[in-house]
Amino acid sequence: MIATDQALLEQALEGVEDAFTALYRRRQGAVYRFALQMTGSTAVAEDVTQETFLALILHGGRYDEARGTVGAFLYGIARNLVLRRLDRNPAADLEVTEDYAGPEDLLEDLTRRESIEQVRQAVLSLPPVFREAVVLCDLQDSSYEDAAVALDCPVGTVRSRLSRGRAMLVRKLRGAACTGRSIECSQKSI
Amino acid sequence: MQSEEHIVAALRALAEEDAELEAPLRVEDRVRKIFRRKHAVRKWRNGLTWSLGLAAAVIVVVFIGMPDKQHSPPPRAKEVATKPPQLAVADHLVADPQPVEMPPATVPARQVRRIAPNSDPQPREIVTEFFPLLDVAPPFERGELLRVTVPASTMRKVGLPVSENRLTERVYADVLVGNEGLARAIRFVSYEQ
Repeated sequence: MIATDQALLEQALEGVEDAFTALYRRRQGAVYRFALQMTGSTAVAEDVTQETFLALILHGGRYDEARGTVGAFLYGIARNLVLRRLDRNPAADLEVTEDYAGPEDLLEDLTRRESIEQVRQAVLSLPPVFREAVVLCDLQDSSYEDAAVALDCPVGTVRSRLSRGRAMLVRKLRGAACTGRSIECSQKSI
Repeated sequence: MQSEEHIVAALRALAEEDAELEAPLRVEDRVRKIFRRKHAVRKWRNGLTWSLGLAAAVIVVVFIGMPDKQHSPPPRAKEVATKPPQLAVADHLVADPQPVEMPPATVPARQVRRIAPNSDPQPREIVTEFFPLLDVAPPFERGELLRVTVPASTMRKVGLPVSENRLTERVYADVLVGNEGLARAIRFVSYEQ
C-alpha cells in the first residue's frame, strides 16, 4: 500500500528519515517546476526547493489537514519563498534551460520548442499575481481548491486570476509577428 | 474563446515539456543531511531528559525510603515556585567557556546534597546557566531542584567544553524537576578552590 503524503509527513516529523525521503522524492519535482516556471531561473528553483523542504522539517507541524493537501501546503511555502525572491530581484535574469533536439524531425522539433519557449517567456512576463495562478492551474495541473490554499485566496479569485492571466497571454503572444510565432500559428506545430 | 483554447493547449505543451524536470540530486543530499542533524539533536536531548528524569526519580524514591535514623523529620526538598530561580551565572562559564573545574573524582556516585546553606563554612559554588532539556515544555508551576552527580561527558552534550581525559569524572549538577516528574533543565556546579 502506498503511504499518503500526510502519513509520510507525520512519520517524517517523528524523525523517520525514510518517510521524509519518500515525501521529498514524491513532491520535489512539482515544487522545483513551480519555482522554475515562476522565476525562469534554475538556480533560484533549486534554492526554493531546498528551502521549502527545510521549512517542512522545521514547521511541518503547522500543516492542517482540514485546510488542504500536503502538496498545496508545499506550494504555499514555495510560493512565499518565490515571491520574496521576486521582491528582492524583480528583474532577475532569466536563464534558458538547455534544449535537446532529437535527430528525427529536427525542424519540427525546433519549431515546437521555439513556440514553447515563447509561451514560457510570455508566462514569465505576467505580473506575479496572475503568473502564479497560470503556473499552478495550467502548468502544474493543480485543482482550483489546492491553488486557492497555496495562494491563500478564495477559489473564485483563483478562477478570475487564471482567466485574466490567460487573456494577457493571448494578447502578448498575438503581439508577436505571425511568422509562425503567434498562438494561432504555433498551434500548428504544437 | 478559441484564443483561450489555444492558449490552454500551448500551456499544456509547455507543461509536458517541463514534466520531467526535477531538482538536482545535491538538493536531496543537503535536505536529508539537515533532517538527520535536526533529529540527532532531538534524540540525544530526549535521551538525556529521560535518563536525568529517571535518575531524579530514583534519587527521590531512595531518599524517601531511607530510615530516619535521627528521629527527625526529613528535610523538605527545596521547592521552586512558579518560576525557575534567577541564577547566578559565573561569567567565565558563559562569556568565555573554559573547561570547568570539577569536584574530585572521589565523589560517591549518585550522591545527593541539599542546597540549603550549611552553618559550616563551604567553598563558594560556581554554577553555569540552566540548559533546557525539553524542546517543548508544558507550563511550569512548581518543582524541585535536585543535586546529582553525572559524568562530565554530560556537559559536552549541552555544548560546554570538557577535557578528553576528564570525560568519565563525575560532576555536580542541579536538575530542575517539575512536579509532573519531567526533568526540565540542568545546570552544572563546581566549587571555588
